[in-house]
Amino acid sequence: MAANLAVNLKIPYKKYPAPGGFYYTAAIPVDISRPAKGSLRSKRFDAIIDSGAAGCLFHAAIGRAIGLGIESGQLEYTQGVAGKSKVYVFEIALHAAGATILTLAGFSDDLPIAGLLGMRGFFESFRITFDPASLQVELERFHRA
Amino acid sequence: MNDPRFELLKSAPLDSWVALSEDETRIVAVGRSYSEVVEKSESAGVTDPVLIKTPKEWQPISL
Repeated sequence: MAANLAVNLKIPYKKYPAPGGFYYTAAIPVDISRPAKGSLRSKRFDAIIDSGAAGCLFHAAIGRAIGLGIESGQLEYTQGVAGKSKVYVFEIALHAAGATILTLAGFSDDLPIAGLLGMRGFFESFRITFDPASLQVELERFHRA
Repeated sequence: MNDPRFELLKSAPLDSWVALSEDETRIVAVGRSYSEVVEKSESAGVTDPVLIKTPKEWQPISL
């Protein structure tokens, strides 16, 4: 019988400044690279786990650092509450919570933060439990049958 | 409850890249760009920082 090597992590929410106080959100350090083995990896950066995001989205500066020619990517538009944004999509390797996930991800110079982890690539790779009582997020890696 | 990482973020310049030490207890570099902050971080001897991009103003993220 194959051993169960599932990654199961409990990660405390992180506290961020807000006008007049603070807010908590689930964020983890991740890094990315081009898909080929041995590709240059970015530095680790803070990425927010966002169930409302259709996919993973990273600041374009991180993409350039791993050798992507950002404007040569597949152009897509995202629709957020702040309006429509242009993103360039590439296949990348996302290194998160002890796993490496090959996925399509968007890159934008307009992203106000370093990264967002959304449905495509991240939520389809982990069972994710947000626990506001303990201010923790639990990640369990799974593989589709 | 004291949260050193939160205090660091509050003190960090806005619309910048910030490199935190491996254990996220101190700021090791600040820069206007990803490449600048990586270079400064490595010059400071920290090769595995955690980078944070601070927004133009701190607000709960809703894109």
